[in-house]
Amino acid sequence: MTDTVISTLSQTHRRPWFWAFVASTAAFGATLLLTEGRGGGELLSAALTFAAFSAIVGIGQMFVITLGPGNVDLSIPATMTLAGTLSLKFMGGDAALILPGLGVALAVGLGAGTANYLLIRFLRIPPIIATLSASFLYQSLAIWSNRGLRIKPPSILADFTTGATLGVPNVAIVGLLIAVIAWIILERSIYGRWLSAVGQNARAARLSGVPVQLMFAATFIGSAVLASLTGYLLASFSGGAALNMGTEYLLISIAVVVIGGCSIAGGYSNVPGIWGGALLMFLIVSMLNSYGLGAGVRLIMTGTIIIAIVAAAAGKESSA
Amino acid sequence: MHLRNKLMGAVALMAVCVPALAHADTSDKRIALSNNYAGNSWRQAMLESWEKVASQAVEDGVVAAADAFTTSENQATEQAAQIQNMILQGYDAIVVNAASPTALNGAIAEACSAGIIVVSFDGIVTEPCAWRIAVDFKEMGRQQVEYLASRLPDGGNLLEIRGLAGVFVDDEIHAGIQAGVEEFDQFEIVGSVHGDWAQDVAQKAVAGVLPSLPEIVGVVTQGGDGYGAAQAIEAAGRDMPIIVMGNRQDEMQWWADARDADGYETLSLSIAPGVATLAFWVAQQVLDGAEVPKDLTVPFLTVTQDTLDEALASTPEGSVANVEYSLEDAKAVIAEAKQ
Repeated sequence: MTDTVISTLSQTHRRPWFWAFVASTAAFGATLLLTEGRGGGELLSAALTFAAFSAIVGIGQMFVITLGPGNVDLSIPATMTLAGTLSLKFMGGDAALILPGLGVALAVGLGAGTANYLLIRFLRIPPIIATLSASFLYQSLAIWSNRGLRIKPPSILADFTTGATLGVPNVAIVGLLIAVIAWIILERSIYGRWLSAVGQNARAARLSGVPVQLMFAATFIGSAVLASLTGYLLASFSGGAALNMGTEYLLISIAVVVIGGCSIAGGYSNVPGIWGGALLMFLIVSMLNSYGLGAGVRLIMTGTIIIAIVAAAAGKESSA
Repeated sequence: MHLRNKLMGAVALMAVCVPALAHADTSDKRIALSNNYAGNSWRQAMLESWEKVASQAVEDGVVAAADAFTTSENQATEQAAQIQNMILQGYDAIVVNAASPTALNGAIAEACSAGIIVVSFDGIVTEPCAWRIAVDFKEMGRQQVEYLASRLPDGGNLLEIRGLAGVFVDDEIHAGIQAGVEEFDQFEIVGSVHGDWAQDVAQKAVAGVLPSLPEIVGVVTQGGDGYGAAQAIEAAGRDMPIIVMGNRQDEMQWWADARDADGYETLSLSIAPGVATLAFWVAQQVLDGAEVPKDLTVPFLTVTQDTLDEALASTPEGSVANVEYSLEDAKAVIAEAKQ
């Protein structure tokens, strides 16, 4: 056991997620350089809070991408919006309905994930097309159900999502708990083994008795449920569900998977990298904003940094 | 008795309808709304305003039809195809909120050459054959700084929250704010983030940039981002600067709460989503044969400390302050443009 710990530590720099954390730390340091050390705690707390939302949807997306080439869940933003809209409308600001409201959100995720899977399985639509077209359906349902009106969350729930325990933002604690569970599932459960097997070679996995269809169903449902949980938390955090609340999480959910060192072709994933990528996505934008760079430069720099990290991680992997 | 009531009702209805029919030559005309996006509360309020005013106009016999169509993706190619379908369906006028000022010009020129009246508003088009109902976005930006100068004669540091990068409206408001800062040079913009006109995006961007900023006395915005900024500043435990709001209900509610708590004062301004109904009446006027200049300007809707309660009371929870325009309003705007 001690040997494993030592070898784990000495191998740290070879881990695919290593560079995402290096870059996050660098971006954090560069921002503090500008402020001469002021506001470090403030920035860290904001980074943990907003990275948590990206990390939760990112973990769902990671499981889907691990299934192999062509598997990606494009319905995440619409599922978030629908879950946020329906659960906040259901609660209507009543503190007694916080848990049932969470139930409504998770039920939306369960429904959306099941619908996604059925489209893929029975209509034989490729996952990209299936989840994209389903997302129009979910988005329309969200529009139709509440016409874009923002209903305030119950104040206890709003206080919880914007609050902190022992200095750590509550949503970050939720995000970290989910990451730990996801790590156990991916690295220590039979599901995780099967998932990697399917992603590496679906045919070989099927022939060796892995229930491939069950894996697909569970993974797409899992991704949608995590998206709906994020929608519930984000809507409570920002004072109500908006129709465009999920928009930016489509690219982020995929970006954190790639930056975190997971293989975009599937089969090889890791959970720590998702958090590394999520922190980086927030800290890069904060750093570039703090340095007062224009939107164009900001986008170019973000793209360049992401490419550099992915290249660095890939280089390490092949030399390892 | 029952039958007599019905007959009386019919007579009354005709009495109401006939004068309208007698005046308008547009009773057989069909107007379509081509809308590129429906995914936020402003656009939802816009579609509701259209529905309300246009369906009333159809009922009154002013026009034969006034249908609204929205594309699913906010894309110019899709909207161009939608406009081509409207040409084939034989609409007499198309009212358009365009995804791009230039990319729809081909489809719009086709519509014009088919004899269709095209009126663009909010997202206007550059094609010369179309009418344009534009908002003076530059002035909207400039007035924010002017207001701040009236409140803070000594000036100070400002945080600017911009809209969606690369969109015409964002550039215009930004240019207006810059002009304002040049005019009132006691102000300096020390930070600028993109809030994409969405509270949660603005909240995230402001939370990220705040730690590196000095003390801020004012926040200039583009609408739909003021509440998110307030939340981020509150969470960071900073003194609340004067945040110029953008007429969203959550912004005005926050403002009213802060006013009741400690006398917070600010200004709120944006365009009313009801501008769609102004475009509707302008199209009707053009169809009616009225002489209408190609470029019209719509005033923006300003909410002040004095009108806050009134505006808040008339705005549905989670929506945006709105006015619907009447035929008379449209005539007034047209008359003003002729001068």
